[in-house]
Amino acid sequence: MKMHHACRALTGILRREMRRTLRQRGRLFSAIVRPLVWLAIFAAGFRSVLGLSITPPYQTYVLYEVYVVPGLAAMMLLFHAMASSLAMVYDREMGSMRLLLTAPLPRWYLLAARLLASVIVGLPLVYLFLVIARYWDVRPPALGYVAVFPALLLSGLMLGAFGLLVSSVSTQMENFAGVMNFVIFPMFFASTALYPLWRLAEAGPVLATIAAWNPFSSAVELIRFALYLRFDAASALVVLICLLAFFLAAVVGYDPGRGLWSRRPGS
Amino acid sequence: MQVLMALLLAAFALAVPAAAETIYVSNEQDNTVAVVDGATMTLLATIDVGRRPRGLALSTDNKMLFVAEGDDNRIDVVDVTKRQLVGQLPSGADPEFFAVHPDGKRLFVANENDNLVSVVDIAAAKVIGTVDVGVEPEGMAASADGRYVACTSETTSMVHLIDAGTLELVDNLLVDTRPRATLFSPDGKQLWVSSEIRGTVTVFDTATHAQTGKIEFAVPGIRREGVQAVGMEMSRDGATAYVALGPANRVAEVDVKTLAVRRLYLVGQRPWHVALSADQRRLVSANGNSGDISFIDLENQEVVKSLPVGRGPWGVVIGP
Amino acid sequence: MCILLGRNGAGKTTLFSLVTGLYHARAGSVLVFGHAMKSSPSTALAEMGVVFQQPTLDLDLTAGENLRYHAALHGLPKSLSKERSGEELSRLEVADRIDDPVRALSGGQRRRVEIARALMHRPRLLLLDEPTTGLDVPGRRALERHVRDLCRDGGIAVLWATHFLEEVAPTDNVVVLHEGSVRWGGRADRMAAAVGVADTAEAFASLTRSP
Repeated sequence: MKMHHACRALTGILRREMRRTLRQRGRLFSAIVRPLVWLAIFAAGFRSVLGLSITPPYQTYVLYEVYVVPGLAAMMLLFHAMASSLAMVYDREMGSMRLLLTAPLPRWYLLAARLLASVIVGLPLVYLFLVIARYWDVRPPALGYVAVFPALLLSGLMLGAFGLLVSSVSTQMENFAGVMNFVIFPMFFASTALYPLWRLAEAGPVLATIAAWNPFSSAVELIRFALYLRFDAASALVVLICLLAFFLAAVVGYDPGRGLWSRRPGS
Repeated sequence: MQVLMALLLAAFALAVPAAAETIYVSNEQDNTVAVVDGATMTLLATIDVGRRPRGLALSTDNKMLFVAEGDDNRIDVVDVTKRQLVGQLPSGADPEFFAVHPDGKRLFVANENDNLVSVVDIAAAKVIGTVDVGVEPEGMAASADGRYVACTSETTSMVHLIDAGTLELVDNLLVDTRPRATLFSPDGKQLWVSSEIRGTVTVFDTATHAQTGKIEFAVPGIRREGVQAVGMEMSRDGATAYVALGPANRVAEVDVKTLAVRRLYLVGQRPWHVALSADQRRLVSANGNSGDISFIDLENQEVVKSLPVGRGPWGVVIGP
Repeated sequence: MCILLGRNGAGKTTLFSLVTGLYHARAGSVLVFGHAMKSSPSTALAEMGVVFQQPTLDLDLTAGENLRYHAALHGLPKSLSKERSGEELSRLEVADRIDDPVRALSGGQRRRVEIARALMHRPRLLLLDEPTTGLDVPGRRALERHVRDLCRDGGIAVLWATHFLEEVAPTDNVVVLHEGSVRWGGRADRMAAAVGVADTAEAFASLTRSP
């Protein structure tokens, strides 16, 4: 694999992702409106006018709006990863995945490039959301917006790799709805995205345990800490390990000799 | 990434101004005064004092800290450099709050149970006079020029204007239910009185004794009864006032000219009193129910930290 | 030019998938220009241009964007990619549609854009899997003419998979595939004689008759 070839391919994949995303106005619109609706409705439903008790990285009492914003940013990454995974399943059914995979580059590299491109394309919207959230008085320090970038990227890659894995095992679009219902929504709700761990513990110790071990929680906390200029090493480690595990499994899934891809009958 | 984070943290640490100041907080239920470093926002020490410490104030030279001990019927004197008790001053029964007169020589103490204001000579450690006021005197304030002292009486719902020289009552003004704190504007032209139950602040003209305005507070999502007005502070330029809203867990920032509430800060539970730093850039609230103090960065208009200091923080003052 | 002739389900697409390395053969190996698809797929893929049976163009992107995306995947520099996308599209007579979204193109135009795309990196071998699927008769003829021109003028080897006998010229090399195995191989005009029947159509029918 030559360096300049790899770079050109990555740029090409990135440009294609960008064009495709920009042309999907409806998806872009719902991607930004979804977290805003959650912010407006959930925060109103969750009575927190007297302030949530102090949980790191917060150093003082915060309103629920402040608490939920990093979780909603992670939710955006999660939905983006799933939309992109769906696009991959669609691409495969439509055939354009074949085009990508017959490029003269190692397959793992092509998958990694596609993953990275998809995450990068999703990040501007997360930033837009973070900026709009300032109107809800969610105002992390200015440098937090810089510090959150690697956290968003790493979390996005982890969730994207998960989506890639899902796309490698789900043979049809129909399976995808099942994955959304039985994997994505539980992953989101049983996490620290919407409620702090102490609140989940009040609801049930089992739920709190699930949330504590849920890699999505790690992504949320990594983003939350970074936004407030703290580095959550434990979460970063979990996210990194999950990223590698999901990605390797996805590469196996797409391997021409192994994995489910090879067992699929040719059309 | 760790390196990047470390760099960002370093940059952030440099960006925050380090204010060289010390914060003193009376812990009503712990019988201590907490000493907090303003720059690092960490607890430096706790000093054991008398029982039920509430009102506290620094001497005019900032060397001594006076603490009213409600259950010991005295005022403790703490040396701020040694951080230990060095003496006691007499007061009437159940002193709750007091004001240091600008002459630096006298304390005006509200004695909650005696319906009296007692005047204490600091140097002689003696009560040198008393003034009869309404039932349950509570808030105390002295005007900057030293001419007047104001005292609120909780049950009578009045503010009493006292001539600091002759110790005579000049006027009694009716305010809303259960007045708590009172203060003179730095130019001495206004007198502010907070009413706990009604959750209002009444503003008087000190020359005419006429009420010139009233501030109402509302916190979205909290019932009106849950919004009470207690401790107050006014900026040295007389442009901004800060009012602790008790069970609403908020401190309100008020525009003195228009009497409009500019913004609300979410602090710990049940803030009783607030104190402004000398550079006017920071406000600290003592939160009675959550046992902590909240630091408000007034320049960036955000609460930066809440620090546990003990049980029942009540009064707060900031010294060098 | 080689025609891979077989009925639907004969294994043409599977063969294409194996040749393009989408998956590996369970037994045996695939060599392209001497490169094994299992061990060095990239080298082999760089020499191949592929047009899959299913359309693989991004409908929302323009013809030019589709071509440049492919060029990037093959590591072509930007200037060259721009130059060649013009050239290849004009060679297939669709240059005027370069800035139109693929969605607005007709079926025949889309196929030609796909062939132009497959030629972007100047492969030595062009693989076409039933490229005339979904085209009307004039469209099929035009496409066939284009590919034959390419073969003659461009010196490119073409492997054309189809189940239409009428796409076979008498001088073409033909491989007849049926149920996953090769039934016959040779020049098309010799097929009838080899099988011992009157014409090519009959020969094909007899070769692909299930026992």
